[in-house]
Amino acid sequence: MWNHEHRTPRPSVPGGCRACWVVAVWLGVSGAVLGQPGPRPGGPPPPPPERVALTGGKIIPIVGVPIERGTVLIEHGRIVAVGAEVEIPYDARVFDLRGKVVLPGMINAHTWRGLDIPNEQRPVVPQLDAYDALDPSQLFFEDCLRLGHTVVHVIPANNTVIGGMGQVVRPIGLTVPEMTLDDGQFLKMSVTPRPGFDRMMQMALLRETFLELDDALAQLAERRYEEQLKEEEKEIEVGPAEARRRGLPLIRAEDLEDRYRNLVRLRGGRVRVDEQESATLLPPLGAFMYCGDAMDVAPAVEFARKHGFLERTVLVLGGETFKAIADVRNSGCDLVMPEELTYREVDPLTGHISETFVPRVFFDAGLKFALVPGQDDSFPERMLVYRAAQCVRHGIPRDVALRAITLHPAEVLGLGQRFGSIEPGKDAHLVVFSGDPLDFDSVVEQVFIQGIPAYDRAKDVRLQRLIAPRPATVEAPQTSAPTGPQTARTTRPVEETQPTPAPQEGSE
Amino acid sequence: MMIKRSGMRLSATVALVLAVGLLAMPAGAQQENTPPGYALRVAKVVSFDDAERVINNAVVLVRGTAIEAVGPVDEVEIPADYVVREFPQYWLVPGLTDPHNHSAAGGWFDLNDMVYQANPGLDTRSVPRADNPWILQARTGGVTTVIMIPGSGTNMSGFGTLVDTAGRDPNEMLIRSPGSLKIAQAGNPEWYFGGNGRMFMNWNTRQTLQKARLYHESWSRFEQGAGPQPAFDPTWAGFRELFTREMPVTMHTQMYQVLLATMDTMYDRFDFWTVLDHCTFDAWKLGPVVAQSDAWAINGPRQYHYDRTARRMIGNASGWWKNGVRRLGINTDAPVIPQEELSYQAAMACWYGWLPYHALRGITRINAEALGLGATHGSIEPRKQADLTIWSGDPLDPRSACLLTMVKGRIIYDGTTETARRF
Repeated sequence: MWNHEHRTPRPSVPGGCRACWVVAVWLGVSGAVLGQPGPRPGGPPPPPPERVALTGGKIIPIVGVPIERGTVLIEHGRIVAVGAEVEIPYDARVFDLRGKVVLPGMINAHTWRGLDIPNEQRPVVPQLDAYDALDPSQLFFEDCLRLGHTVVHVIPANNTVIGGMGQVVRPIGLTVPEMTLDDGQFLKMSVTPRPGFDRMMQMALLRETFLELDDALAQLAERRYEEQLKEEEKEIEVGPAEARRRGLPLIRAEDLEDRYRNLVRLRGGRVRVDEQESATLLPPLGAFMYCGDAMDVAPAVEFARKHGFLERTVLVLGGETFKAIADVRNSGCDLVMPEELTYREVDPLTGHISETFVPRVFFDAGLKFALVPGQDDSFPERMLVYRAAQCVRHGIPRDVALRAITLHPAEVLGLGQRFGSIEPGKDAHLVVFSGDPLDFDSVVEQVFIQGIPAYDRAKDVRLQRLIAPRPATVEAPQTSAPTGPQTARTTRPVEETQPTPAPQEGSE
Repeated sequence: MMIKRSGMRLSATVALVLAVGLLAMPAGAQQENTPPGYALRVAKVVSFDDAERVINNAVVLVRGTAIEAVGPVDEVEIPADYVVREFPQYWLVPGLTDPHNHSAAGGWFDLNDMVYQANPGLDTRSVPRADNPWILQARTGGVTTVIMIPGSGTNMSGFGTLVDTAGRDPNEMLIRSPGSLKIAQAGNPEWYFGGNGRMFMNWNTRQTLQKARLYHESWSRFEQGAGPQPAFDPTWAGFRELFTREMPVTMHTQMYQVLLATMDTMYDRFDFWTVLDHCTFDAWKLGPVVAQSDAWAINGPRQYHYDRTARRMIGNASGWWKNGVRRLGINTDAPVIPQEELSYQAAMACWYGWLPYHALRGITRINAEALGLGATHGSIEPRKQADLTIWSGDPLDPRSACLLTMVKGRIIYDGTTETARRF
């Protein structure tokens, strides 16, 4: 009984303005923020504009054809109109985006970034939730803004057996509730062995977890029946099997311990005892199931089918899994692509190297998939647009590639109705590019998250500092005279270059 | 090893100094306990009373264990039989309070019993040691009240004990036991058992608190005549005051996410009287959240943080203050930082942008209030406990020294009779 908890419900995202405040800190103007006395003078800062119109830009709505010089009208964080001829209310805040390109906010469907560590040491922790470790202050979220990733599914990483729940967040907000877009609908599982395990151990633990669940639920059913008899001051007069049968309908959601609750949700939210099922006690839950190798796909699918959550399972695929494409296709599961899109093999005998562009295999098989960013901050693979561009390079049509970073990841998360395209009724997550999103010369100029102007490249102090032209480095004259400075190289601004020019190699 | 040796050397020095002191003036120490009262004549009293009075050329009368009167020289009449101590150039401020202290134990051995990830049965009640070297150090720095809490090696390390830094035995030192519950949500306990993440630790700590809450609720039902008498359980009995907000939870919390988790779990979900100890690093960025609560933010040790965003040093206390947090104090984490450096921590907070008056208030009145001692401690007012300190100048000026420390009307440190400071 003691062993369960619920989060105190909070108003969902009340402080869009507070979120903006955080963004301000992120963007490096914390000097100015520090200068503010705490409770801001004159009360809280103004709320985000109720009506926002983005006009004049080329709109790539993902669903439907691109609109040259169109308008997106946003009200209270939702898109209300899209088109070439949209009447703009007089009180809307208008952003003139002529010459720009507007794309839906991109969606990172699978990352552990934002947590303190990728996985807990304990292998089976279905009761845990990324909520408890999510750190809104991490630079990762600032980078998400910079890259136009507006929806992030933060979920424990792959080195686990059952790793805990994820959270779907936006990269702005002072607190986790402010960031939260949707309470996670997925539990992380892995059939690929975690470090130190082999496949037998991994599968044995998975099976054992559910056997223990069955046992605990059977005992719970018996106990509930006994408790009812006690209330009615009756003696137990039936055998254990009958007691379980009678106790099953008496089980309430709050009777389930934390470590069993999410497993019950995984099975559809119904308690199953002796092949009988209770009514639905809890909302069902899906699984993000990691299959690192081709050989892992079949056991993963079989396990999910056996326990009744296959239709809510997303397969998180490793590079080699394209070799099990038939199993993947037959599973009917939604798919998340590996972080490494190119699978590379070396023939041990001939030394021949073969490379496979993994998404292409799935595309050729007629399957939909979500692309995810690479985890390494120093490579362009961390950019979803770059991933889409890679797909185009390998012959996947442009619209499919764009869908794989917007609408498909939204659908994978079960949030296709809210995110992933520019359509009336959807949350206003929009990214403004300087040019075509898949052109590597294009940059993210602005980001709107639920209508909040969340990012402006011109105010991105950290980025400006990074890309600002550096003062020229001048090679000091290498004369034999001992009068020069001891240091061979000196750095000084161009305008201070000495009147007698240094040798040519020093002009850079 | 090194700690042990230096500790021994320290105790040897202290013993030597004490022995020399006793030989030199055998009658002095005894006399100090006997007079009916003291009259302390000083240049300035920073009272931290409700009127925020700062009284120049003042007299403070102490009778028994309490402050009797405070006022300008010409308004306070000094009874004839009082011992008058003249400090006409010096400052008098309330005794300093440290809400995050381990040094009342007098040694490293008793600080942390790392049995489980959460240890609800533990209590430091048996730990404080009278006149231990660390306590003597505290007196030298004008620290008169501390909460002796267990260390942060586990998520829940037990109850703390609120003590004076004076008293000939642990009972005489005792103010309140249990004084608080010590919880550390991260920033140490993750090392336990080969590695933990915050997901597990936060869930696990809540599980323990949930057991305590159910125990409390079943007893509350019984007391209201609405339920049967539950079995007494010493493990959980001490937790009841947490749920009635008669006792604070002392949070070892630091860094943005950890403080966020503290506000989420301890404040929002359990509605505890929350003292955010030790809340350094970039935790001050959560000022807007803390300012809306009635939690206390106690910063330290280390008063600055290299902020990756601003790319410069940021004063933590200054950050809290500018974000609107007014229940703001300073702690040392003694003996990690020597207890006598509490005033120095406050000085450092000012160097990094906080305000001197409020910083001094932050190590006296605010800290006392955070621990629930506002009625008796933390300010120079008639009828409050005579815990006061006299300084050779502004206590936040690192050049100033504490010259006299009084606890419950008894002089426990007198820097004027020693040719050299002990520490």
